[in-house]
Amino acid sequence: MNQFLLQQGSSKELNAFPHIIEFALKKNTSIHLDSFRSGASDHIRLFYIIDGKFDWQIQQKPYSLYPDDLAIILPGQTLGSDKGYLDIGSLCWLHLDTYPASTGSKIQTGEMSTVRKILDLNAMPVVSKFRDAGNIFQDLKSELFNQHLGFHTRTNALIDQLFILLARVLTQQNNLQRDFPQAFLKLENTLRSSLSHQWTVEEMAGLVGLGSTAFTERVKGFTGFSPLNYLITIRISEAIKLLKRQDINVTDIALETGFYSSQHFATTFKKLTGYTPSQFRKNIISQNNLQ
Amino acid sequence: MTTKRDCIVTIELGTNAVRVLAFDIAGTMIGSLKGSYPTFHSQPDYSEQDPEQIFITMLYVLKNLLTEQIHPKKYKVNCICFSASMHSVLAIDKKGVPLGNAITWADNRGKKEAQELNRSPLSKKFYQATGTPIHPMSPLVKIKWMKNHEKEQFAKTSKFISIKTYIIQQLTGEYLIDYSLASATGLMNIQQMKWDTDALYYAGIKTDRLPTLAPVFASPGPFKKEYQTLLGLTSSTKILLGSSDGCLATIGSGVWGDSKAVVTIEDSGAVRVIGNKIMRDEKRRLFNYVITENCYVFGGPTNNGGLIFEWFANQFGYFNRPFDLEHSIGELISEAEKVEAGSGGLLFLPYLLGERAPIWNPNAKGVYFGVNIKHERQHFIRATIEGILYEIYSISKLLEEHRAIKSLAVHGSFATIPFCTQLLADICNKPVSLRKNSDSVAFGTFLLSATEMGIYKNLAEAVKAVPTPELYTPQKQQHSNYMKYFKIFERLSTKLADEFEDISDLQ
Repeated sequence: MNQFLLQQGSSKELNAFPHIIEFALKKNTSIHLDSFRSGASDHIRLFYIIDGKFDWQIQQKPYSLYPDDLAIILPGQTLGSDKGYLDIGSLCWLHLDTYPASTGSKIQTGEMSTVRKILDLNAMPVVSKFRDAGNIFQDLKSELFNQHLGFHTRTNALIDQLFILLARVLTQQNNLQRDFPQAFLKLENTLRSSLSHQWTVEEMAGLVGLGSTAFTERVKGFTGFSPLNYLITIRISEAIKLLKRQDINVTDIALETGFYSSQHFATTFKKLTGYTPSQFRKNIISQNNLQ
Repeated sequence: MTTKRDCIVTIELGTNAVRVLAFDIAGTMIGSLKGSYPTFHSQPDYSEQDPEQIFITMLYVLKNLLTEQIHPKKYKVNCICFSASMHSVLAIDKKGVPLGNAITWADNRGKKEAQELNRSPLSKKFYQATGTPIHPMSPLVKIKWMKNHEKEQFAKTSKFISIKTYIIQQLTGEYLIDYSLASATGLMNIQQMKWDTDALYYAGIKTDRLPTLAPVFASPGPFKKEYQTLLGLTSSTKILLGSSDGCLATIGSGVWGDSKAVVTIEDSGAVRVIGNKIMRDEKRRLFNYVITENCYVFGGPTNNGGLIFEWFANQFGYFNRPFDLEHSIGELISEAEKVEAGSGGLLFLPYLLGERAPIWNPNAKGVYFGVNIKHERQHFIRATIEGILYEIYSISKLLEEHRAIKSLAVHGSFATIPFCTQLLADICNKPVSLRKNSDSVAFGTFLLSATEMGIYKNLAEAVKAVPTPELYTPQKQQHSNYMKYFKIFERLSTKLADEFEDISDLQ
């Protein structure tokens, strides 16, 4: 492929795609000092390495990128090089202003939120040997430059495809696919750290790197509960702690621990503990007093 | 009108999960469910669990078992009895609210406190009075650690209780601990059956900061009204404190009297015997836990049981499907079967998690020893299994300095893999019995409840009624073969002490 640079606002190829900020291929043959300082942007930035070796700092951590590697920099994350310049080599990049949105994308809302969650929680910004991404970049280039019949649909579909493949690869890369208790503990910590989120089985399964059916079966065998019932035990145990603290009201507790409403919280809580949240707060505390 | 049949429900608050089982009066299991909860390791030596999560998981599982399997079959729940893992500590404030998570038996944060105490003359006195070896697992050491390192929390704590005490208090309102669990805290005088003044003084607390001691047959009273309604029970269901998982597994395996020992190998393991006297081990390597007055379980625990083989399988096993550990373990076992006894002179010290009995060295590490150019993958598999079982043998050998052991009863997921059970028979040179129903903790809890209900005259009679067919006989030739290697195994485990300490500092 030859070098190219498409930029929103100045390249007519991007007129129909306001969400694509920049799409480019660069063959860097010489070193330009002070050309690659660390910085963040509001965009999602994807870089695919074609040739050479790049030593980058992503979120202040060092990564070496080799051909066929893909780097994902999310909005607000920093990217740069310690040396201050771009290494010699070839690379291709795509900057988007948001995740594939309802306008051009055909990804279902639920699936998209799972993909976002997986990207947000991903600790490894570099996927190695991700040739599929290279093929998509190539197809994307020919769609945008040739503008044949259906290019509008195809371009957006390719971006959708890139995100789906990326999410799948990340979930598989995220664990060794061996130690389930360890993978499950990692999931448990993730669930606890964003308990107010309305988790779906698909999202949880994605984080462990399994399909929903296999995931549900594993969780049932390991914990004795279905994934959603297991999640309820975490929600209720956190709620009990907050109820005992006295300084936070029941509605806030409901939302903080991931219930739709205080009504939903009260019903679930009563079903599991025999008390409504406010009864529990009143009775338990007065009965337990050791003084 | 049909009369309802009686049943007994047992609740085991285990290391990773709560298991709720129901038995009819004859001891036939009529229902079971489990629910797991996680252990958090916020720092390398820390091992904690969320008391509220354990409580809600227990309640949820108990409710599901009763409404799905017991009430529909028209059973009347006569009695509910508890067992729990030992050595847990939970600090609660004056309102009974937990100050953070519960610290489990596996927590090693008190390493330094334990080391210091072990060097002081107090340790001998404490061991003799309490029967608990001085080790970071012991609540005595954990409370001392809190006093030294978490001064504010220590001051705020109105009671230091066990997880089981917390769960029972939530359900009934009473702060009680049975003699069994209490005898594993390092704080109870097992001759006087009361909290030990000297140990308490060392830990910096008084009796009012501990739960009230009570026999294993004692009842904290009925569940609170709300829980009775929730669970479909009445105040006529008797609640029993019960005992610890270790003690109940021992009686549940049908072991009573002098000549038989129980080998447990789950994630960790233990070898135990029962007797009517406290046993004195000069080197303080064995524990004495109380069941009732004049009935003691003694033995030694190991950190390194089935978990070590799972570690091996995760690293070196073949996986066709994600997370298919069971399959991988099965394959490894069949590969190990093809190797001759002794693994061609390849030895494995299994101390990946440090070790308790018999070497009591938290710094101990895993070692493969004697590797030569002819050793193949399958030798490593078999050596790993043999190493785990040599360690069990070394504990039983230690017990034999005090008791003659004629046969073994075996339970636990790792020990009951047929290949491992035979190996155990060969290495220990003793016949091995297995109970059909493998859940010994629950069955022991059933026996305790049935005794309280008057179905058996006393515990001894209950335990003697358990059939223990001897299913594995030792192969003499193999035993003498193993003993050649075991001698080297035994020497290595103490010889490397300095190197274990040095490498620990580097890790």
